[in-house]
Amino acid sequence: MNWQRMKSNIKNVFNYTLIKISLIPLNLWIISSLIFILLRIAPGDPIDAILGSGADQEARELMRNKLGLNQSIHVQYINYLKNLINLNLGESLSNQEPVIQIIRDALPATIELGLFSILIAIFIGFPLGYMGLRNKNKKFDYISRIIGISSYAIPPFWGAMMIQLIFSVIFRIMPIGGRFPIAENPQSITGFFILDSILKNDFNAFQGAFYHLALPSLTLGFLLSGIFSRSLRLNLEKAYNSDYVDAAICRGISEKNILLNYAFPNALIPIFTITGFAIASLAGGALLIEVTFSWPGLALKLQEAILQRDYNLVQGIVIVSSLIIISINLLIDIMIAFLDPRIKY
Amino acid sequence: MHKLKYFRRKISITFSVITIFSQYSCSNKINPSQNITIASSGKIESIDPARVSTLKSYQLLNALGDTLYELNNKGELIPKLAESKPIFSEDKLKVSIKLKKNILFHDGTPFDSSSMKFTIERFQNIGTLNYILNKKIKSIETPTKELLIINLTNPSSSIEGLLTSINLTPISPEFYKDHFDKFLNNNFMGTGKYKLKRFSNEIQSLSPNQSYWGNKAKNNGINFIGYNNSSALYGAFISKQVDVLLSNSIEDTLRYRLNLLSKKKDIQENQSAPIEISFISLRTNKTPLNNTDIRLAIAKSLNRELIRNKVSFSLRNSATSLIPLIFKTNNSVSWPDFDPKESMKIFREQGYCDGNIFNLPLTYRSNVPTDKLIAFYWQQSVKAEMKDCFSISINGVESTTIYKNLSKGIYPSVILDWTGAYSDPEAYLSPLLSCDKFIGNKCLKGESVFSGSFWASEKVERLFKESENLEGVERLNKLLEIEKIASKSLPYLPIWTSSQKAWAQKYISKPIFNGAGIIKMSELAKNEK
Repeated sequence: MNWQRMKSNIKNVFNYTLIKISLIPLNLWIISSLIFILLRIAPGDPIDAILGSGADQEARELMRNKLGLNQSIHVQYINYLKNLINLNLGESLSNQEPVIQIIRDALPATIELGLFSILIAIFIGFPLGYMGLRNKNKKFDYISRIIGISSYAIPPFWGAMMIQLIFSVIFRIMPIGGRFPIAENPQSITGFFILDSILKNDFNAFQGAFYHLALPSLTLGFLLSGIFSRSLRLNLEKAYNSDYVDAAICRGISEKNILLNYAFPNALIPIFTITGFAIASLAGGALLIEVTFSWPGLALKLQEAILQRDYNLVQGIVIVSSLIIISINLLIDIMIAFLDPRIKY
Repeated sequence: MHKLKYFRRKISITFSVITIFSQYSCSNKINPSQNITIASSGKIESIDPARVSTLKSYQLLNALGDTLYELNNKGELIPKLAESKPIFSEDKLKVSIKLKKNILFHDGTPFDSSSMKFTIERFQNIGTLNYILNKKIKSIETPTKELLIINLTNPSSSIEGLLTSINLTPISPEFYKDHFDKFLNNNFMGTGKYKLKRFSNEIQSLSPNQSYWGNKAKNNGINFIGYNNSSALYGAFISKQVDVLLSNSIEDTLRYRLNLLSKKKDIQENQSAPIEISFISLRTNKTPLNNTDIRLAIAKSLNRELIRNKVSFSLRNSATSLIPLIFKTNNSVSWPDFDPKESMKIFREQGYCDGNIFNLPLTYRSNVPTDKLIAFYWQQSVKAEMKDCFSISINGVESTTIYKNLSKGIYPSVILDWTGAYSDPEAYLSPLLSCDKFIGNKCLKGESVFSGSFWASEKVERLFKESENLEGVERLNKLLEIEKIASKSLPYLPIWTSSQKAWAQKYISKPIFNGAGIIKMSELAKNEK
C-alpha cells in the first residue's frame, strides 16, 4: 500500500516537475523581454559611457553602427531573441568580450559567497531560533529576537562597512577587500578558489581564499540569519503546540527524539520555502556586499554594466541570474513535494 | 555569581583564542608582498592602448609602455622613444620623427618605424577614442627603420600633444598580428620599464623589465589593485594593506583626513599639476540665458572661494579660466569674480528683482558627490546674498543620462568636468568651444552642442584655424585670445581645477607625477630604514 502511494506520489511530482520545467522558457522570455525594454527606455546611452562626453557626432555614429545600435528597436529585439535561442548572449558593448565568458569568470565568486553566506546564516540563525524558543520570554529569547530583528534592520552597506572598519582597519586582522591575496596568483580550476585550493592540496591558497571570503560571507550570513532564526522559532513553536507532539510526549518519547524526529522535520518544510526567497534576496544583498568588499562577483559586474549602459552584459547577467533562481526554486518545490505528503498536485 | 564568573572566563578565553589565531594566521596574508602595492578606485577592463580611456588604465600603460614623447611638469615636450623633437615641413603638412635605436619590445622584437606605423594605424582603425586624431593623419611613411613621417591632411599644431597620448603607446606588431582589427584586453607587449606578470580586472602585477633601454625601475615590482569605494581605499591605506593610494575620485572628506595625516608627517602626499577642470555649462541658445548680461550676472554670483573651502576643504584650486595653468605661461585671462552687489545690479537692469526673481535650474551629476555639494553651496550662497533677485533650483541626474541629453539642450545649466584627451591647451578649448555649423552665436552642430552650451563665435572658429598654422608662443597667444572671448561671452563658468593625488606610506619614496598627471611607478622605492 505504502509503495503504491509512493509510486503515485513520484508520478505526480514528476508531472509537476515537467510542467514547471516547461514553464521555464516562458519565464525567461518574459524576463528577457522586460529587461530588453527597460534598458532601452531607461535614460542614458552606451555610446556616452564608452566615448565620454567629448566625442563628436561622427565618432558617435560610427560607434553606434559598429555596435549595431543604429538598427531599429524591433530588429534589435528579433536579433536578441534569435541569439538567445542559440544560447548566444552576445558581446559586451564596452570591451567586446563574449558575455558568457564574463559571466563564467564572475559567477563562481558569487556562488562561493552565496553558499558560505547561507551556511553562516543557518549556523547563526538555527541555534538562535532554537535557544530563543527553549528560553521563551527569558533573557536569551529577547537577545535572540533583538539579533534577529537587527539583522533585518541593518542596512547591508552599513553593516559591511562597520565589519570592515572593525576587523580590517582597527584590528588589522582581515583583508579589506578582494578575493585572493594581492601578491599571489590564484591557480583556477573550477573558479571556486576554496574548492580549487582543496583540489590542489594548497594550504596557503586555501588560507588566502578563506580569509578573503570570511568577512563578506560573515556579513551577508549575519544579515540573512534573522530570516532563519525567526522562521525556525515560529515553526518550531507551532510544531511543539501540535497534537502529534502531545501524543509523542504521552508515549514517553524523549525530548531529544521529539525535537529531531517530530518537531524539527515539520518545522523545516516552510523554511525550505523561505530559503528560496532568501536566495533570491541574496542577489540584491550580495550587490552591496560585493561593492563594499570589492568582491569580483556577478552582482558587481551587473552594477558596472548598468552604469556603463552595457545592454548585452546586463541582459546576459539578468537572464543567467533568473535561470539560477528559477532552478533553485524548482528544486526546492520538488524537495518539499517529496518531504510533505500533504502536498498534492 | 559563580556561574557568571565562569561564563565571563569562557567568553574571554574564546575571544583571546580567536584574536591570537587571527593575528597568527592573517598577519602575513594581508600584504606579504615585496612589491609595492598601489591602490586606486575601480577596475581596469582593458590594457589595450586602442581601447583604454580611463586615467587608471593610462597609469598602468604608462608603466608597461613608452610613448614617443612625454610632457614634463613644466609642460615641455620630452622625447622618449623619439630621438629628438618632431620636425615640421614648411607647409606644416609633414612631421618627421627620428626614433631611438636598439629598443626591444618585451617579446624581444625590435621597435622601429614600422611598429609605430602599425600602432597608429591600428588606433585609427579600432581605437575607441580615435576621434582625437580627427582625420588629422593622411598617411604614414617609414623610409627607414629610424624615421617616421606623418603626413597630415591639414596643418595641425596639436599633433605634438597627440604624440604624447598613451593611446599611441607602441605595441609589438608580431604579438598583435591577430589583433589588428580587434582589442586584446588582457595582455600587453610594449617597451616599458615593466612587464605584465598578471592581469585581472581587479589586480595587475608588474615585474621590472631587466633589459629596459633606459633607467631601470627602482623597485622589485608593482601590484596595482582596485577597490570599489572611497572608504575601502582609505581603510586599506590606513591599515597599511597598500603602500600607495592613488585616486582622484576619493571623497573630499577622506582627502582632507589624508591631508591632515600628511601634515603630521605620518604619510607622504604629492599631487600632479591640475589638469581636470570643473565648470558650469550654460545653455546659450535659448532665453533667458542667450542674454550675455544675464550670464554675466550669474557668473558674478558664483562664490568660488566658499565652494572651494566648504566642499574641497581648500584642497582644490579655484579656477577662473578654462585652460589649466600648466599649459600657459601666465593667467592673463580671467572670468568675472564673485560680486553679489554687481550681480544684483545687472539683474535689476534686466528687469528682475523686487518680486520678479530670476530662477536658474541647475543640474548636477547625482553620482558625483562633489557636484551635489557645489550645487548646494552655490544655491545657499545665492539665497543668503541675493534672494530678492536670484534663486537656484537644483536637480540631480545620473551622469550617463546627462551626457546623453546635453546635446538635446535639456539642461539650462549643468555642472560638468573635463580633462583634455591629450596634453595641449587646444584639448581644453576645442571640445568646449568649437562649432562646425552655426547661425550668429548659436551653434547648430559641433563640440559646443555636446558640451551643452550651444555657443558659437565666428571669430573663435577663425582663431582656431589660424592657430593650426602656428607654433610655440604665437600659437598659445592665439588660443588665449579664444579663451578671452569665452571669458567675455561666458558660455561656461569655471569652478575649480583638480589634481591627481597620491599618498604613500612613510617607508615609500615620495610619489612623482609627470606633466599629464600620471604617477611614475618606476620611481617608487621602499625605504630600507
